[in-house]
Amino acid sequence: MKGNCYIQGMAAISPQHTFDGDLLTQPMIVTQGNRLSCVEPDYRAFIAPNSLRRMTRVLKMGLAASLKCLQDGGIHVPGAIVTGTGKGSLQDTERFIKEIRDFEERALNPTPFIQSTYNAVNGLIALQQKCTQYNNTFVHRGFSFEHALLDSLLLLSEGTPNVLAGAFDEITPEHFFIKGRIGHWKRETISNDQLYAHVSPGTISGEGAAFFLLTNTPGEQTYAQIGGLQLLYKPTPAHLGTALSQFLAQRNMQPEDIDLILTGANADSNHLHYYQLLDSYPQRTQLPFKHLCGDYETAGAFALWLAATILKEQQIPKAWFPMVTHQPERLKNVLIYNHFFGEQHVFMLLHSKD
Amino acid sequence: MAERVFITGVGMITAIGDDVAGNLQSLRAQQSGLDYTRLLTTIYKDVLPVAEVKHTTAELSQMAGVSGQEGYTRTTLLGLIAMQEAIRHAGITALQDEQTGFINASTVGGMCDTENVYFDIADPEKDGDFVRFIDTLDCADCTQRIADAVGINGYITTISTACSSSANALMYGARLIKAGLARRVICGGTEALTRFTLNGFNSLKNIDKRPCMPFDKDRNGLNLGEGAAYLVLESESLVRERNAPVLAVFNGYANTNEAFHPTAPSPDGDGAYAAMKGAMEMGGCLPADIQYVNVHGTATLSNDVAEGMALQRLFGEQTPKFSSTKPFTGHALAAAGGIEAIYAVLAIQHQLIFPNLHFKEQMEELYITPETSLLEAYPVRHVLSNSFGFGGNNASLLLSKYEG
Repeated sequence: MKGNCYIQGMAAISPQHTFDGDLLTQPMIVTQGNRLSCVEPDYRAFIAPNSLRRMTRVLKMGLAASLKCLQDGGIHVPGAIVTGTGKGSLQDTERFIKEIRDFEERALNPTPFIQSTYNAVNGLIALQQKCTQYNNTFVHRGFSFEHALLDSLLLLSEGTPNVLAGAFDEITPEHFFIKGRIGHWKRETISNDQLYAHVSPGTISGEGAAFFLLTNTPGEQTYAQIGGLQLLYKPTPAHLGTALSQFLAQRNMQPEDIDLILTGANADSNHLHYYQLLDSYPQRTQLPFKHLCGDYETAGAFALWLAATILKEQQIPKAWFPMVTHQPERLKNVLIYNHFFGEQHVFMLLHSKD
Repeated sequence: MAERVFITGVGMITAIGDDVAGNLQSLRAQQSGLDYTRLLTTIYKDVLPVAEVKHTTAELSQMAGVSGQEGYTRTTLLGLIAMQEAIRHAGITALQDEQTGFINASTVGGMCDTENVYFDIADPEKDGDFVRFIDTLDCADCTQRIADAVGINGYITTISTACSSSANALMYGARLIKAGLARRVICGGTEALTRFTLNGFNSLKNIDKRPCMPFDKDRNGLNLGEGAAYLVLESESLVRERNAPVLAVFNGYANTNEAFHPTAPSPDGDGAYAAMKGAMEMGGCLPADIQYVNVHGTATLSNDVAEGMALQRLFGEQTPKFSSTKPFTGHALAAAGGIEAIYAVLAIQHQLIFPNLHFKEQMEELYITPETSLLEAYPVRHVLSNSFGFGGNNASLLLSKYEG
């Protein structure tokens, strides 16, 4: 695949104050309990009141984040819209299932059915921006966002000048309970700032929406360059190690060239061992990020947003990473390694603009 | 220049056949798969016709060779059966010999099974073996179970763009090959009937109580169907290396968006027009080169007007033969694009045009009418296959005869 990919604009809604304001001065939001919820912005700045009334939560989050991203990137109509979501609109799915039961399949309101469709957010963005170009949605757990990103890289290499790529996922109380039944969350109740001190089965849940305007040439306000993406499905630990070495070698990178590694380590003792892969890399450069956003299918999009923010600002937000005692001497190359409950593993490499 | 992408194997299961040969036989016999459901629990059991695969879920698990094993939903089993046939048909004996990707499509994942236990799953007071269905709530579960059962070792993902999902899966697979990221990718989709989707489309007043009548003046909606279909896509170099027979060339594709309405097409068919035009242009075809269009043709009031207008705009008085095969298979949502792409391959291989069943009277808005007879020995070189979905998602594929 030929060509480059630059992040030209971006926006994130997350359990932290990531949507507006000076990110570097934001305190960490600490949540007691294992379910982190997004800090939602005032949607009225982005969405007309009559549309807003009908829309459920993740649709609003997705649409607002995408519109803010386009604003940030200075482009009104993108050359393509590609998203990833693990769960789509849970609120709508839950509501439609219940209404089928409660109204015994009669006189149902179609709105939750329409909004439960996984590509509903994509359709809304296209509609609002009158974007008639390529439009696609990936729905594959820890690969949802990453395939949206790979699709975007393909589009850029095929000649599409810019692509709006993003991800969105929400967690509802009902779905939190359901996933808890198969061991996704910790049994003990903790707060997110103490996540890494509680290594035990399960993790904490999260949610978020993050969008990126990607271009094949750098611009004035480029955040970072995406230098590599690799997806591995259910790899063995041995294969994973070889794959990371090769991933870096193919990009002419030595371990010591990596200034920062953002890891998806989430204190889940069932799947934590995969991160031993990074044991041979300098420990001082490794930072976990899931205490900020919780775990969910498209947490990789939050990690990308975070990495690009760090590269652009050339510093690690202190309040979010109290464990960092001093800033790295150099912030040029950032590696992200994340996996979703041991199944979908992802390496992403970012470079600072210059 | 990017390599050409060939189709080297196909596998499917629908209401009109358990495999590709069975489907072809029913198409030739003009035998519709529409009937009332025998398996779905719904108040519309004897009201709304559906195209149901004529096997219980237990029978399907036997057919797929996973009898007695837990966690396989109907969605997964339909997919696994089609996948096994596609691999066999492509003459692949060991998938591990070549990194093989799998791009699947699904609209509601394992909903067919989870909707029956959902309230138990969500009820803290209840406990039982229904808990094993929790993993099947999403769309990735079926993809991974199918992949694991056959040993997929390359790119794996799932696309969900409503009714155009598997057309987009095929497109994405072809693009991975053209970019040199893979040499073999198996693409398509799987869909099982659910109360959820039946009630969804019914709440939109989009379902006809009669067998659907695409492009007919008196049409009043679609009938849902179920099934699965996968196509093995391979790069030209891999095909040469392993000396594999080529069924058809995947010559062009386009995905466009209407940006008009969340669930309805623009009356002039702007998205459909742009998608077909884009697919033709990519394949270097002019309108006169196309012999057959397997239309989306759901028989909803709005689709057939929009798609018909798009055909007229693109082809004018010289509109090629076109038909909707949904009166055979129902609208199998995420599987529809895959099923109809295989029908396009069959049209090319066997030089056939399939009839548009149940058509009686011309639509007032259009001057074109679909083909209503089975045409044998019809010279088919280039076929367009259309799939349009919610969210304004329009996909069109161009499949062509392999001529060296």
